[in-house]
Amino acid sequence: MLKRKSWLLLLTLLTMLCLLLTACGGAEEPAQEQPAAEQPAAEQPSGATYQAQTDKTLRISQSDAPNIDPGVGSDYSSCMAYVNLYDTLVYPTLEGEMAPMLATEWTTSDDGLEWTFTLREDVKFHDGTPLTASDVIFSFNRIMTMGEGFGFLFNNYVATVEAPDDYTVKITLTKAFAPFLTILSRLYVLNEDLVMANLADGAYGEMKDYGKAYLSDHDAGSGAYMVKEMRKQDRMIATAFGDYWGEFTANAPQTIEIVGGTQTATIRTLMTNAELEISDQWQTEEAYQALDQLPDVDMTEMFVGSVLYAMMNTTKAPMDDVHVRKAIAYMLDYEMIVTRLFPGCMVAKSPVPYGLPGYTEDIPQYEYNMEKAAEELAQSKYADTIGDYEINVAWISEVPDEEKIALLIQSVGEELGLNVVVEKTPWLTHVENVAKQDTTPCISLTFVTADYNEAGSQLFLRFHSSTTGTWQQTEWLNDATLDAMIEDALVTLDRDARFQKYAEIQQYVADLCPCINVFNQAEKHAYYNFVGWPAAEAAAAGEPVSLVMGYNYMFKDFSIN
Amino acid sequence: MDLLKFILKRLAQAIFVLFGLSIVIFVISRIVPGDPARMALGSRASDEAYAALRAEMHLEEPLARQYGYWIKGVFTGDLGNSITTKRAVSIDLRDFLPATLELVMMSAVFMVIFSILLGKVAARYRDKWPDALIRVLSYSGVAIPAFVMAILLLLLFGYKWEVIPVIGRLSSGFAAPARVTGMYVLDGILSGQIATAWNAFLHLLVPALALAAGGLFQEARIIRTAMTDNLTKDYINASKGYGVPNRLIMRKYLLKPSMIPAVSVMGLDIAALMANAFLVETIFTWPGISRYGMTAMLSKDLNAISAVILIFGMIFVLVNIAVDLIVAWLDPRIRLGGD
Repeated sequence: MLKRKSWLLLLTLLTMLCLLLTACGGAEEPAQEQPAAEQPAAEQPSGATYQAQTDKTLRISQSDAPNIDPGVGSDYSSCMAYVNLYDTLVYPTLEGEMAPMLATEWTTSDDGLEWTFTLREDVKFHDGTPLTASDVIFSFNRIMTMGEGFGFLFNNYVATVEAPDDYTVKITLTKAFAPFLTILSRLYVLNEDLVMANLADGAYGEMKDYGKAYLSDHDAGSGAYMVKEMRKQDRMIATAFGDYWGEFTANAPQTIEIVGGTQTATIRTLMTNAELEISDQWQTEEAYQALDQLPDVDMTEMFVGSVLYAMMNTTKAPMDDVHVRKAIAYMLDYEMIVTRLFPGCMVAKSPVPYGLPGYTEDIPQYEYNMEKAAEELAQSKYADTIGDYEINVAWISEVPDEEKIALLIQSVGEELGLNVVVEKTPWLTHVENVAKQDTTPCISLTFVTADYNEAGSQLFLRFHSSTTGTWQQTEWLNDATLDAMIEDALVTLDRDARFQKYAEIQQYVADLCPCINVFNQAEKHAYYNFVGWPAAEAAAAGEPVSLVMGYNYMFKDFSIN
Repeated sequence: MDLLKFILKRLAQAIFVLFGLSIVIFVISRIVPGDPARMALGSRASDEAYAALRAEMHLEEPLARQYGYWIKGVFTGDLGNSITTKRAVSIDLRDFLPATLELVMMSAVFMVIFSILLGKVAARYRDKWPDALIRVLSYSGVAIPAFVMAILLLLLFGYKWEVIPVIGRLSSGFAAPARVTGMYVLDGILSGQIATAWNAFLHLLVPALALAAGGLFQEARIIRTAMTDNLTKDYINASKGYGVPNRLIMRKYLLKPSMIPAVSVMGLDIAALMANAFLVETIFTWPGISRYGMTAMLSKDLNAISAVILIFGMIFVLVNIAVDLIVAWLDPRIRLGGD
């Protein structure tokens, strides 16, 4: 009997051990420190041929399957879909210039209020019908009436849109808006006739639902790709449009898939099985290291205009004291963050993302200096009572790496006597919390990207009082001087003068210190090296990439070699 | 006639249960913090759009009236619009429910077949090594959460061995079959697209196994215990005395009464699979209603939350009725009203 029980115990222990070993997997190589923005060396091809090379299929993962209605979505996945399914009047090049797309040329009135665009005459929608000025007007009216997605970009500025003839569009603004051309990269032109033929009951009067139900599963675009199948909660599948007016590169993908889902185990399995060619940018460092070990998989890192901010609620004690804010800004070791915690990222020297036109580093910098931090704290009105205040730092649970920054603030803060509490917060709870001043955390860790390709976008988004109560600005600044500076810059038509004003705003913000610009995020992807990716190649060569969300993924310019 | 009365009585009770459930979930979803209109439109939407959506969702009206609008919609088939998918909830249910039903049905098949098989083997070889091995597996299977099991199986079948496809419902290159039920395996067979049906079946195996594992091993233990207990009953000894073969005793005289306690638990486990499937669906990128429901809850998508919970409640009630009928069939004493 004793022998049988011992045997059973041994068997149980062996089974548990096997399960533990399976879960733990192989030993990981220790993290290699890399200088910021250094591109990992590309591997030599293994010589294997993958199914994607034969089929000319390109699959990329994202946080969710995209929302393909261009009047509704504004997230990363959706923007990636829009730039391929739809065309715009102009689009941003990798160098940051606005290049012709549907519009071949344009003129502006001296006061900047009237913009006239001449359209191409050879563009067809995916159903074969020609694209005319009427479709552009319809697209404007739709996005502005619905007021969702990127509608906010136009509602503040566009008064009327007219079509003097079938291939001319005249836009009149309510007030001068110098970066107007750049925001046109967010007006995706829809097929008016197709949408109108597929209206369902809705809240827009005679426009019913404005085609929302139809466009959630179908596209009405003229872009290089057309939706073949929209599998909700799964993926969007699109195929190359044979009658596209533009050019595809040789060996451009014939089928593209944007796959929703970022579970690490899932992504690693898909890439190992060569069922995914490009990973998303939301994986952990450890996951990227593992993916980099796969044969024929390379890594790319590019700065795409995303900055991690530690936003400080300037209305809540003790963050309402500029000296406390500066003390916290001085106590973070930024170089350590970008070398050990987030290798490949770049210290942020401005609240404006690196490379965004109008960016400047010529402003006061907060570098790691505990002595200065202590000096600043000593000057604050909370010098003797700082420990009595709970400073809650909220990090977004969907971005696990943010916890590292939160814990760093906590551990270093202890040296200064700060009582820091770390709070893991689901994204939607965070959005809810920051809608009100009293529930906004003392410090919020959030990545923010510019809406359009100029510093004014980020400055407005981050610091204008009209954006308080949004996740993009949790400082609750309400600074009239800053508002006036931003508004004045945005109506300054002369580019040099406008950029000078942007620089002055960045100086002002640095002095005010409402937030800590932690780092410029290096967007990382693991991808198979048979994929020719212009933005990845530019990043590897140290050249600029597009800072407008989605435009590094114009798949007609990719190649499957 | 008695059976019909029994079914009608249970259905009548179910209506009250579902009514109560709808009130509870409706109220909870609306009092939990979070502005569904702002979450749907984003923080930069215009005030006009925000006001229009709130009006559309009747959010400015008293709770009781909101419930009235909603329950009226349920009876007319209008479940409102989802703020995450931007389309009618009824269309979402039409697309996602069959995916989960297909997954749950396969899990149920695994549960029934393997629990009976393992239970029989454990009872047949009780106190010997097969029984011990099955006991160890049972403890492990019950102790390991479904999502951990899912990741382990994903890594094993999809990463280490790469023997069958594990992500999504179909491999790239396969289009969904012509829709009849929304279940790809069945639709593929019905439309003659056998290759598609086979591919869909392969995709189904690992997620279904991950979902079934916990309940499967638990029921195997229950069957094993019940069979072991019944082995000592007089009627079994009498059967042996009459020379009835052991195999026949196990299959015909022992298994049926031993299934009764397991069937009750099995019914509850199968009904619970629908709700428990969300993590498995997330890991395997399975576009099912559980994952849809979880997204709806995280997005405070009120219409979707209410509809999903109602569906789960209906399924739970129907499965319980079915379990009662099966138990009555297994045990004549129950249907004849005996002791």
